[in-house]
Amino acid sequence: MNHPPKIQARIDSYLMNLRRSLGNLPAEEVSEILREIRGHILERAEAKGELTEERMVEILKALGRPEDIAPLYQAEALVSRARASLSPVLILRGALRWAMVSLRGFVSFLVALFGYAMGLGFFLAAVAKPFLPDRVGLWWGPGEYGLGVRDAAPPATELLGWWIIPVGLLAGTVLVILTTRLLRFLLRFAKFGRPSAAAG
Amino acid sequence: MYHVKHTSQRPLEVVENWEAQVRKGWLELAILASLWQRKCYGLEILRKLEEGVSLVVAEGTVYPILARLKADGLLSSEWVESEGGGHPRKYYSLTPLGRQRARSMARYASEFFQNVGSLIEPLIQEGKR
Repeated sequence: MNHPPKIQARIDSYLMNLRRSLGNLPAEEVSEILREIRGHILERAEAKGELTEERMVEILKALGRPEDIAPLYQAEALVSRARASLSPVLILRGALRWAMVSLRGFVSFLVALFGYAMGLGFFLAAVAKPFLPDRVGLWWGPGEYGLGVRDAAPPATELLGWWIIPVGLLAGTVLVILTTRLLRFLLRFAKFGRPSAAAG
Repeated sequence: MYHVKHTSQRPLEVVENWEAQVRKGWLELAILASLWQRKCYGLEILRKLEEGVSLVVAEGTVYPILARLKADGLLSSEWVESEGGGHPRKYYSLTPLGRQRARSMARYASEFFQNVGSLIEPLIQEGKR
């Protein structure tokens, strides 16, 4: 089916903008979305009367701006992928996306960040111990409390000794798994707004 | 994107924002309901939705919702060539889980409207006078 060049150019540029805005979605999802939206446009165009450029502009306007529509796909897709994923990166991205639209999302994002940072801390302590045996440890006063690398061998008591390696690896793993599970649970409640007339 | 608005908004904006929130919730039910009897493609669903109170601001917003309902397992989809060799259409239909969800949402909606109906009745009566 062929439309006059000017009308065809309108359709093409709309779909190109949409494709660009959909950016990081998987390629097959993008092509399916474009196919569906193209069908919508073509069928609206067939509907009634003569197809003028003005009518095409109207059809595309009724559809909404690609920049407004694409994020809806992305937000939904990102979160449903994060929900099913074990990857901290995907989960953090999903939570960040959610954090931008609601307080609950923001809190969940902070929880995720804290959980993963703690987990990473334990891992790093375990890995760093062989290189800095006097400076890495679980310190318990005087003057130093907590886990980590200290400037020089501090006067504080170190509780774990070489046990910090297995304990650090285990605690790190448990923390990352728990954070992932908790976030996957929380993400089930994520809701995203649709562009309202006012925001359009 | 969706913006959270604060106290600086004008009264008209407050109402528009509230309407957008309400629409958003009902739109999902309306989409599921429009598929109750048979499978439909996106534009068909939109046409059904246009018949009543306008739930759709930008038509393009319906498609991401359909994609999400499908990802949630409430809908399934298939591509069907249209008669006369036009463009193919993506038909959506309710899965058993979707039917179940639609039914319980409809039950809630019906109770909700009864309650709200009796609550706002005086406002409408007074407005007429």
